[in-house]
Amino acid sequence: MTSFNVIRWILWKDFVTELRSRETISSMVFFALIVILIFSFSFSMDQQAAREVIAGIMWVAFAFTGIIGLGKSFSTELQNDCLEALQMVPEAKGAIYLGKVAANFAFMFVVEILLFPMFVILFNLEVVEEISLLLLVFFLATVGLSAIGTLFSALTVQIRAREVMLPILLLPLVVPVMIAAVEATKGALNGDPLAMYEQWLELLVIYDVVFTVVSFWMFEFVMDS
Amino acid sequence: MTIHRVIRNVQRFEGWFGGGAVLCLVAGLYLGLIGSPPDYYQGEVVRIMYIHVPLAHTSLLGYTVLAVGSLWYLWKRDPIVDNMCQAVAALSAVFTALALGTGMIWGKPTWDTWWTWDARLTSFTVLLLILIGYLMLRTFVDDPEKEARYGAILAIVGFVDLPIIHFSVEWWRTLHQPQSISMRGVSISSGLLMPLLFMSIGMSLLFSYMLMVRTQLLYLDRLLHAKKGRLLSQFHLSKSDS
Repeated sequence: MTSFNVIRWILWKDFVTELRSRETISSMVFFALIVILIFSFSFSMDQQAAREVIAGIMWVAFAFTGIIGLGKSFSTELQNDCLEALQMVPEAKGAIYLGKVAANFAFMFVVEILLFPMFVILFNLEVVEEISLLLLVFFLATVGLSAIGTLFSALTVQIRAREVMLPILLLPLVVPVMIAAVEATKGALNGDPLAMYEQWLELLVIYDVVFTVVSFWMFEFVMDS
Repeated sequence: MTIHRVIRNVQRFEGWFGGGAVLCLVAGLYLGLIGSPPDYYQGEVVRIMYIHVPLAHTSLLGYTVLAVGSLWYLWKRDPIVDNMCQAVAALSAVFTALALGTGMIWGKPTWDTWWTWDARLTSFTVLLLILIGYLMLRTFVDDPEKEARYGAILAIVGFVDLPIIHFSVEWWRTLHQPQSISMRGVSISSGLLMPLLFMSIGMSLLFSYMLMVRTQLLYLDRLLHAKKGRLLSQFHLSKSDS
């Protein structure tokens, strides 16, 4: 089995598990809806105020739901000692990492696409013109979150208090993603010219590349036993 | 069981570091508090700089040592390197917290606020959060080898992240509001430079001295546990023989 096949099988396995159990995506979407609800109670907003803070609310909701998905990604592998089985895969451990990143990315991205219309409706946003740019922002930021999140999901799964430790370790490290995603989303929602928030997209690309490489390398050390 | 070669060297030289730290800090404090003129703009308040800036530099230096040590650990898997990493992380966390604390005390009279979301303040806060996360992570792992390995991974990822965090926060702030105060425009005169230099060297020596003591402590603690385990097992074996 080549490394490419390992990636494919991991991805396939996670998709099939998700299709049969429907646990991850449904819990993520439901949790995000509750977050949106809490936010709309916390700030009483008119349309003008909503435009200012909506990008921030959106990414807080996405990051929190992403952490739920990331946590489940490896904790499901604890059942029936699947994690040990993964550690025994003879191919490079990086292949497992890439497969898991792809699966986590897919779940988070789907949830974001499902949630975005909710934001538009519930916060009375105007119809967005720059939808393709917005999708690009979602894509780049989600790659960054899942690249580093998958590493820490694998790392925290074998320690005590893992549900607490994953966000505690992950959130400070994704500060650049959060800032860049919020600023770029704000720009795209307001229909600002691209030149005004281009640098945030560049920052996201740099972050994605750097942390995919670093996490890919570090994953070997997480998995060796 | 013999004491590790590194530890024996540390025991031999730590006194020099401790003594050097005391000398430099005393000289730096004298120059800073008495021997140097008050600042033209800030007056006497500027003297906290002699504590604040060396603390900040030393904590960054400490984090660099942590990252290098972590890489070294993943490469050689020598437990003594991990003892050093654990020691340096705790010290860096303390120095970072002190740097933030003195920064807040300095900020109150000069910027008229305890806290502002200034770029450097924010990235130091994130640094502190990463270090506290590192220390927490270590307490939640049962197996010592795993504890060392996971800690090293977090330290390396965090070290790569730090410059990106710093730039993102800097862009974020400069796009929104001009920085409250900038040190860049102010050129430091030699009267201020000498105490700063002494304090920086002294603080680094103090940090090194504390690091040496703490590494020894963690190393001896590990040795003690190993020895206790061995004695206990011998005791049980001799009991089962008779």
